[in-house]
Parts: sequence; C-alpha cells; structure tokens
Amino acid sequence: MASTTPPSSSGLREFSEQTEVGGIFLQALMRRQLRLSLGVAAVFFAFLGAQPLLSTVWKPWTRWEVLGVPVTWVVLGVLSYPLLVWLGRHYVRRAEEVDEEFTDLLG
Amino acid sequence: MTPSVAAVLGLVAMALISLLAGLFARRYSRTTSDFMVAARAVPPRINAAAISGEYLSAASFLGVAGLVMQFGYDVLWYPVGYAAGYLLLLLFVAGPLRRFGAYTIPDFAEGRFDSPRFRRLAVILVLVIGFFYALPQMKAAGLTVETASGLPYWVGVVVVAVVVVTAVTGGGMRGITLVQSLQFAAKIFAISLPAFLLLLHFGGPATPFAAARGQLVRLPVSTTYRVSRGELWQLARTTSLNVEGEAPVLWSRDDPVRAPGAVTAEVGDTPAPSSPLRGSKHLLLFGRQRIPAGTLVWGGNATVLVPKGQPAPFGSATPASSTSSWSAPFGPLAGGSGHPLLFTYSLILAIVLGTIGLPHILVRFYTNPDARAARRTALLVLVLLGAFYIWPPVFGALGRALDPSLYGNNLTDAVVLVLPSLLGGWLGQLLLAVVAAGAFAAFTSTLSGLLVSLAGALGHDVYGRWLRPTASAHRRRVAFQVAAVGAGGVAAALGLMVSQFDISVLVGWAFAIAASSFFPLLVLGIWWPRLTTRAAALGVALGGGTATLSIVTTMVATLSPQVEDFLARSSGLAVILAQPAIVTVPLAFATMVLGSLLRPGPPSGVAAKLVQLHAPELLGLRSDYIPE
Repeated sequence: MASTTPPSSSGLREFSEQTEVGGIFLQALMRRQLRLSLGVAAVFFAFLGAQPLLSTVWKPWTRWEVLGVPVTWVVLGVLSYPLLVWLGRHYVRRAEEVDEEFTDLLG
Repeated sequence: MTPSVAAVLGLVAMALISLLAGLFARRYSRTTSDFMVAARAVPPRINAAAISGEYLSAASFLGVAGLVMQFGYDVLWYPVGYAAGYLLLLLFVAGPLRRFGAYTIPDFAEGRFDSPRFRRLAVILVLVIGFFYALPQMKAAGLTVETASGLPYWVGVVVVAVVVVTAVTGGGMRGITLVQSLQFAAKIFAISLPAFLLLLHFGGPATPFAAARGQLVRLPVSTTYRVSRGELWQLARTTSLNVEGEAPVLWSRDDPVRAPGAVTAEVGDTPAPSSPLRGSKHLLLFGRQRIPAGTLVWGGNATVLVPKGQPAPFGSATPASSTSSWSAPFGPLAGGSGHPLLFTYSLILAIVLGTIGLPHILVRFYTNPDARAARRTALLVLVLLGAFYIWPPVFGALGRALDPSLYGNNLTDAVVLVLPSLLGGWLGQLLLAVVAAGAFAAFTSTLSGLLVSLAGALGHDVYGRWLRPTASAHRRRVAFQVAAVGAGGVAAALGLMVSQFDISVLVGWAFAIAASSFFPLLVLGIWWPRLTTRAAALGVALGGGTATLSIVTTMVATLSPQVEDFLARSSGLAVILAQPAIVTVPLAFATMVLGSLLRPGPPSGVAAKLVQLHAPELLGLRSDYIPE
C-alpha cells in the first residue's frame, strides 16, 4: 500500500498506516456505507418480491387494468425503471456525502 | 418473413460502421493499459453509453421480445432484473472495485487474498461464464442474418465473429469503448422508434390484451404468412385468405369449414392421442377462402396471404397458452413448472445477482478515472437501461396479436426483426433496416466486451501472470491479441451448435453461474474483513461448480429424451436444475461465511486491502493494484 502523497494530518496517518485507531475509523466508514447500500437494496427487493407474492395471495389485483393494459404489466414493466433511477440517485448523493464527511473528519 | 433487401442493407451498414470505428480507434490504442482498461480515462457519459451498449445484448434486443411473445407476463422479470442488477452493482461493488484498480476479476481475486492459486480458479470461471454468454449472442447473429437475408445460419455467426475479432485485436478496450457507445445509440433508436410507430398504428398498448380477448385487429397491409404444421390461428371474425398451392388444415372445432372449394381429406399423420386436436376434421384448403371465426390449426406447411383490412390472425405457442394465462402472472413459463412462486423467485435472484458477477461488465468499472466516476457511471447506466427496457415487451405483445406464424415456425426470437414489415411500404422497409442494424449492434457490442474479457483472462491472467510473469509488455499485448482470435473462433464454433435454445434462457444460465460464484466473492470480499482465502475459494468453486453442473444437466435433458423423462417425474428437481440460483447462491454464501467462522484467519494485510477498497479518493491515498 504505497501512498501517492504523504499523509498530511495525524488522523490520516493513523488511517493509512492501519493503526488500531485507523482501523476503527475504517470500520465506521464501511458500516455507514454498507447500511446505506443495504437500505436502498431492501426497498427495491421489497418492491420486486411483493409482486409474485401479491399475485399468489390476492388474485384480484391481477385483473385490474389501466387503459386496457393490466396493472401488473404497468407496475413491473414500466414503473420499475423510474424507481430504479430514483433509488440510484438517492444512493449516489448519500454515498458521496458519507465520503465527504469522513474526509473532513480525518483531514 | 420474406428476406428483405432493406434489412440486409441495415446489417451491412452497421457492420461497416462497427468495423471502421474499430479500425479508427486502433491508432489510439498502444499500451497494455489501453487494451485492458482504456487507460482508465473514460468519462462517465461515454462509459455509461459503452456499458449499456455492451450490456444490452441480443438477449435484451431480440430474446426478451421473443420470450414475452411466447410466455407473457412472467418474462417481464428478465428486463427488470437485468436493470435491477445494475442498481445492486452500484450499491455494493462499483466504487470499491474501481478503487482497487486492477485489470480483471482474477486480479481482484489474487490481490484481495494474496493468492495466485485463487487467480487460476477465477480464470476458469471467467472463461465458463464468458463462453456461456457468448453462445446466445452467436445464435442471435445467425438468426438475424438468416431472417434478414435468407442466408444460412452459419453465415451470420462467422461474419460477426470476424467483425468482433477485428475490433478487439485492433483497439482492445479503448477501441471497443468508442464502438460500443455508438452501438448503444443505434440500439435505443432501433428499438424505440419502430415500437412506438407500431403502437401508434395498431391502437396503442391495449391492442395485444384486447386481441387476447377476441377483439378485432385489422391488418393494415396484405401479409404473407408461412404457416407450418401444428400452427394455431385464432380468428376473431370471418376472414378471407388466399392459399398458395394447397394447405392441409386441422379444424379443431366441430363445425366443418363452410368454405367453398374446401375438400375433406386425410392429410398427414393423425394427431397423437393426447392432442387436443384428436378427432378433429382434416381438410385441404386451396385458393381464395373465407374462413369463419374460430380456431384454425394448420396441418402442414404452406404460404398463406391474408389481404389488407382482414382480421389479423392471432396466435399462441400452444393451445394451452391461448387463454388469458399469457397476460396473467404464473403463466406458461413459471406456472408450467408446477412451483410458480419458487421458479419466479429463483429467476429474479439469478438475474439480479448475476449481473454483479459478470466479469465482462465488472471490468468496465476499472475504465473509470475514480470511484466517484464509477458510481456516477452506474447511475447513468440505470437511466439508459430503463429507457431501453420499456420497449422489447411491446414487440413481444404486439407480435402475439399480429403474427402467429412466428409461433408455428419457432421463430418468436425474431419477432423484433419481422414485425416492422407490417407497417408496409417504404416506412416498413426502412424500419426493417433499422431493427436489423440495431440487432447487429446488440450482439457485436456484447461479443466485443466478452472477447476483451476472455482475451484478458487468457492473455493477461493465464499468460502474463501465470505462465510467463516475466514477459515483456509487447509480448503480453500480442498474447492478448492471439487469445482474442482463439476465443472468437471457439465461441463461433460453439455458437453453431445452440440454435435450438431460446436466447434469453441461455443468457439466464450465464447469469446463474455468475450469481453463484463471483457475486458472493465480490460482496463478501469487499465488505467482510473476516473472509478467509480458503473459504472464499471453496465457495466460488462449489457455487460456480454446482450451478454449471445443473445447467449442463438441463441442456443434456433438452437433447436426450431419457434424461428429460427422468426429470419430468420429479418436477421440483427439474425446476432447481433449470433455475439453480435459489439453491447455489445461498450455498456459495454459506460456504464462505461458515468456512471463515469455523477456521478463522483472514489473509495477512487485509486491513490495507480494505483501506484501498473504501478510502475516499479525497484523502489522496490512491494506489491502483496495477498502477500503469
């Protein structure tokens, strides 16, 4: 692990040289990022996973239609995509914030 | 279904554009880094277009529409899962993997665990997944050229192999990045414009569902159908048609055809005892006929012209799927297995998680300048994929309402390629050229990405790191080029043998293997410090191995009746063998986690690796695993 620039502060040095304190910093960072990712993933998996379940336990919704197209088709085949983009955008913003806060903390 | 000059022109134009762009990019690719990771200098916008270009394969462009036409609603999990896979890639892998700064996934396996032996295991899986993924692209190439020009299947396979090998050996990753971003533009244009115009012409997205309920859709142009034995037509009203020569008909309803000139005759074989056609009348049709509303089953091959303004014959894959089960969840695809919920969840898992393990997709993140760019690239890819994936099901659904002979001829995979001709005139011809060019862009861009990945595994991982670690940069580049030629040749040879499998099903299998091997390796390797080398390797081998074995068994079963009979008797087993992800993904995960907990001892220097994976760029600690 060769640094391209020499660490400029004590926090950064602890971090880059993997001291015990640096390890705690790293753990905190990873935990925040992972919690963010898991949360966003959970939202989408709930959206996907609920649909087959709903079709099994509550048939009526498979017969609903909007403008002649079954609602099941619209929800899965169209609405999934804006939801994906929205979740992705939310994640990128938050992940960059976490990175920046962490940098400020060490810097 | 008739070969079209316009479509051939579309194909030739796209082939030339791809070839020229590849040759042009050749001048700019010199170093090994250019060839492997485009010098890590691709800006997010170009990279997102290139990734989407690479990702939207023949399975997306042709296969999804074909499967929707056959199986209906259940197939929507494919496009949604393909796109959702990218969200997970963004959430768990994109940033850290870029920070690691390697060339290939085997680099990551070796570097993260300090284990050259792990690299060898990873290389084997890269090759298995890469070739599996290449097969359906080759099938699409053969099918497209066959449909457009009437030339034999192998011509398309060979032409595409030549174009792709030329681009990859000439410009490597840097060259194909340019070509692929152009190809993305071609694809999104080629899928959305014809689909939009078809919808406009045929009364909007409700048409296929209305047709399924027996409502009338009129043909806007006179249409020639090549019907084949067993093909099933449903006619909403009395329909005039013109039979060229004579056509045997199996009439599945009790009332006889009251068509003048129809002659009752024994034609061909009697249907099997289990067939719903048993006991139906056999007729011979010739010349101009008026056929009353109802279900018509053709008893042999013939050419049938249905004039302009007549009801469009409405088809289905089998008599069983002609009912509303096509548009409802758990139709013939998931429901046919007997365990629809299990099948659906397994399919979702395989597709969504498989994306995270596809080596040719993952290596693209190394072409970003840093992790921030890698994340933004993945987000842009989500936008581009969403804009694309809304359209293929439109083709599938309209195809069901408008062109039943695709079912009869087992050509549903070609629905995107033939449907635009229904618009007639110069517009129909122009759009045929556009979709043909789009299809060509689809399989060539995916194949070029695969070839970079395969050639990288052979030239960089096997030759440069394993066999000849001391080879010069020049020799490594030559090794990459030789490997590209070899891999292209093998993929083409294999592609000649898979014409009977559905494109999307083949791709689904590549995803299942990736989901069971590289997905747990990456997610745990990036996020879990206690993962041990031994447990990770065991998990990759076990997950990837069992998934491959299940799929090979299913493929053998398709070709051998005895194995198929055996599997049919235990449907739960057949479901799991055909969609193994729901078992093999947890198996790989459990192996890695339990193995690491039972015999702890993460590789030395794991803290440094985690700093490398997770430290924000702003700290200025950056160091690529392969610095050049």
